[in-house]
Amino acid sequence: MASISFKNVVKSYGDVNIIKGLDLEIADKEFVVLVGPSGCGKSTTLRMIAGLEDITDGQLLIGDRVVNNVHPKERDVAMVFQSYALYPHMTVAENIAFGLKLRKMPKAEIKKLVDDAADNLGLSHLLERKPKDLSGGQRQRVALGRAIVRKPSVFLFDEPLSNLDAELRVHMRAEIGKLQKRLGVTAVYVTHDQVEAMTMGDRICVLHKGELQQVGTPLELYDTPCNVFIAGFIGTPNMNFFNAAISEDGTTFTSDVVSGSVPSNWAEVCANKKGQEVIVGYRPEDVRPEDEQKCVNQKSFAGQIDIVETLGHEVVVYMDVAGHEEKVTGKMDPHKVPRSGDKMTFAMNLDKLHMFDSETKKRL
Amino acid sequence: MNIFDNALFQKSIYAFLKYGVLAFLILFAMTTIFPFVYSIVLSTHDQEGISSLGVSMGLGIDLVENYNELLQRTAFWTGITNSAIIAILGTVISIFFCSMCGYSLAVYKFKGRNVIFGIMLLSMMIPPVLSLIPYFLIVDMLGLMNTHFAVWVPFTIAPMGIFLVRQYVVASIPKDLLEAAKLDGAGEFRIYSTIVMPLLKPSLATLAIIQFVFLWNNFLQPLVILEGDKAVIITMIRSMQGTPDAPMGAIILGSFLSMLPLILVFVVSSKQMISGLTSGAVK
Repeated sequence: MASISFKNVVKSYGDVNIIKGLDLEIADKEFVVLVGPSGCGKSTTLRMIAGLEDITDGQLLIGDRVVNNVHPKERDVAMVFQSYALYPHMTVAENIAFGLKLRKMPKAEIKKLVDDAADNLGLSHLLERKPKDLSGGQRQRVALGRAIVRKPSVFLFDEPLSNLDAELRVHMRAEIGKLQKRLGVTAVYVTHDQVEAMTMGDRICVLHKGELQQVGTPLELYDTPCNVFIAGFIGTPNMNFFNAAISEDGTTFTSDVVSGSVPSNWAEVCANKKGQEVIVGYRPEDVRPEDEQKCVNQKSFAGQIDIVETLGHEVVVYMDVAGHEEKVTGKMDPHKVPRSGDKMTFAMNLDKLHMFDSETKKRL
Repeated sequence: MNIFDNALFQKSIYAFLKYGVLAFLILFAMTTIFPFVYSIVLSTHDQEGISSLGVSMGLGIDLVENYNELLQRTAFWTGITNSAIIAILGTVISIFFCSMCGYSLAVYKFKGRNVIFGIMLLSMMIPPVLSLIPYFLIVDMLGLMNTHFAVWVPFTIAPMGIFLVRQYVVASIPKDLLEAAKLDGAGEFRIYSTIVMPLLKPSLATLAIIQFVFLWNNFLQPLVILEGDKAVIITMIRSMQGTPDAPMGAIILGSFLSMLPLILVFVVSSKQMISGLTSGAVK
């Protein structure tokens, strides 16, 4: 069993706290994605699991064993690096076999395992080549091969796809997911790409400034973000936020762009926030041109189109709305591409409201 | 029309510059090579021929006689063997030590790392002659007078070599690689010997040439502590030169022959050396 537990883990460099008391349980055979903006501590967290960074305080367990002071090679983990970190002077076969050789495994067995791994990853015809003679995708697969051949109980991935082109990235994303399920190992995957996070992880952990913000399935994070940061970070394009005030009777809200009646699922919350300031958020897909919006509880507003992004299956528009400083993002039908400067009427689906405390920025 | 805009004019200027630079380079290359070629010429003449020759490139007929004279006056091949022992042992062991020191200074973080590196760089600025007397006293105190060991050992920790390796590791060996090896289960020495050493090849070839040439040409230390059949070829030839009837033909032949091993080492590892010297300069 290879569950991973962080118990109030702290990592600091001098006076600077990189990880500020992380508590996290990763179950056996689970695929967890650590995501967050640059400098949030996600790679440090991964490197602590690998044993490449010391732990300043707290406990880290792999399985039932506290591994704070266990050498990387004793932890039974394998890591795939962003740079692949293949040994340039060794052939593909030697790269994959290196870890096995160090374990003094018999040659015949090494050969069999290397051949199996190469077969699995479609590398059989490349075994005698050096890394410099391989393409990015092939190098990536060799790095994966080196990791899987040892049959570790934990797989660690440090932004392994960021050097690949878009098409290959999508392909490898699926491959890594399948591989992890097939091998039945625990995997921790670091990325700053939230599409990767949403598509690959059983659960996603969002880190920000060294603190764990929210852990949950991709849909939980998307549908019920626990604070303004998560709401803005998960989902592309970002959620629209508006400062709003709840009416004295708690049944309506007023913001600088839209105002309307509070949806029934928020009624209880708003009843406790009567007459108070809140932040409301709407995802761009809930902001559509008036004639495309097919919902009951909607509210229209006028906007002037500024930027238009045509994505093929849809169009994303960024518009200026009178009285609101930031741009409002909406989506529309791909066959009606507006031009910059066009004035249009958009409508928000008020039922899809997200509401946050204006002081604590937490979800209400 | 402005004459500088004329294509023909520009072409001639370009040709003039190109051939001018070429002529300049050839001239300097000739100036460098000339003493070597001339020493071959002189080593074929007898004493009288050399003093009356002036500058002439005509080959003489006394090569064999000069060679016999050389063997008669000195233990030439013993000197060559002594020099070779010192240069080879010193070079091989300094590659080992310098690569370990340079690697650890580049990779490990420990207290006083920068101080050690700074002191090492400072030591490169001390003229070697200054340390000659302390060197002599220490060798004498340790009872190592007239041993080859005392000549090569002090130079196996070469600041220049450590500096070279450290810079090469910083510029060319990614940290990820060392961490990957660690996760693969390699210990510190295994990482150094299996991963780092093969990748250091260009810088080690550079270091090997520098060390071999230095140890082979080293004059002061052998002069003060070696004598008799322990002496190296450089001091042997120099001592021949000091005699009243110094046989110039034999001396020049001896000098020329003693250069051959250096040329051989250079030819063998020059390609690696150039890539070592330019590493990190261009990504």
